[in-house]
Amino acid sequence: MAFISDFLPLFLEQVQSPTLGFLIGGIIVAALGSQLAIPDSIYKFISFFLLMKIGLTGGIAIRNSNPTEIFLPALAAVGLGIVIVFIARWTLGKLPGISVPDAVATGGLFGAVSGSTLAAVLPQLDSAKIPYEAWTAALYPFMDIPALVTAIVVASVYLSKKTGNTAEKVEVWPIIKESIQSSAVTSLLLGVALGILTKPEPVYESFFNPLFRGFLAVLMIIMGMEAAQRMNELRKVAQWFAIYAFISPIVHGFLAFGVGLIIHKITGFSIGGAVVLAVIAASSSDISGPPTLRAGIPSANPSAYIGASTAIGTPVAIAICIPLFIGIAEVMLGR
Amino acid sequence: MSQQVWKLVIVAEEVLSKKLVKLIKSAGATGYTVNAAGGEGSRNVRSTGEPSVSHTLSNVKIEVLTGTRELADTITREIEAKFYADYSIITYIYPVEALRDHKF
Repeated sequence: MAFISDFLPLFLEQVQSPTLGFLIGGIIVAALGSQLAIPDSIYKFISFFLLMKIGLTGGIAIRNSNPTEIFLPALAAVGLGIVIVFIARWTLGKLPGISVPDAVATGGLFGAVSGSTLAAVLPQLDSAKIPYEAWTAALYPFMDIPALVTAIVVASVYLSKKTGNTAEKVEVWPIIKESIQSSAVTSLLLGVALGILTKPEPVYESFFNPLFRGFLAVLMIIMGMEAAQRMNELRKVAQWFAIYAFISPIVHGFLAFGVGLIIHKITGFSIGGAVVLAVIAASSSDISGPPTLRAGIPSANPSAYIGASTAIGTPVAIAICIPLFIGIAEVMLGR
Repeated sequence: MSQQVWKLVIVAEEVLSKKLVKLIKSAGATGYTVNAAGGEGSRNVRSTGEPSVSHTLSNVKIEVLTGTRELADTITREIEAKFYADYSIITYIYPVEALRDHKF
């Protein structure tokens, strides 16, 4: 009980953070039918800006650290991305009235990573003064790409077995290429590269770092509005998707947090780093994943996986998982 | 100075945009026009006019002018075979007068 009494006030404090407030604000105004619209181009710029800043932070950190440290967490990220898809295949995919391609596509999206959720957890860790390796943000593509590739391969194998048509093989490389070329992963990797190879500190200190939290707040409003709008799509598909979308971020988060703690024991990976790994696993892709899956698994219903991810998965990851794992970390650190 | 040509209109998911353009060009069309499009159709899996975060739920409208009906039909048949089953897509055709006849 001592753990819970320590944990609850810390959890409540996290819930009152501006990130979450703006997210809920967005959900409420959209649900009330407000005409408020933030232009698509602003949204695109903000997601570029945030991931660029995160990439720069990571790149600068990698430049000043031992690059071999990243190996084990990156391996864990790859493994988690793949495992999450199989969990969806054998849980959601087994439920009555759920088609396997829909379940696998949903698993792929939940295994993939959300740039907005990643952008939300880092300043919260800073506010809570929990140290973490800044390069942990660079784990994003290590989980994102394997999850999408696995989902598309599993769905294609299933469909070709079902139709008896084994002639068509899945080509993995175009999927990887498309993921890397997506705006989110490109922004992040460009930031990492610039952080490692150049000295971006002047623009980082004067531009990217000061504006980060403000842009993040605007992005949270957009994500909240998007969540409320996608709710309509989700209503058209089986309720299991909503249940999966609510439970799985928490399950994936705990799974990844456990793996992070094991790495913590082995290599001294920080508890804050384990929180980032957990939140990356809890998040579900909302920018780059959906188009890749739409093209890769055409027979899966996009209302099911996009509705599940954007309407429920992302709000759960931001509103429940981030405060949850930061709260647990604070208790573990003896705050 | 005008010439009778065919205008083939394809309204489809934005994710198909590149593939459709490739298909149109390899079929032998000399050009095309792409517009962003919004709306609602019979397919219940998508219904949106508002801009969407991932662009998976947005549409494009592609217009192709062809000199012959055969070329327009070839393009339509290929689109039908490849995309009709899984994607939200409609195609329609009407005769138009092109004012720069030497282009087609």
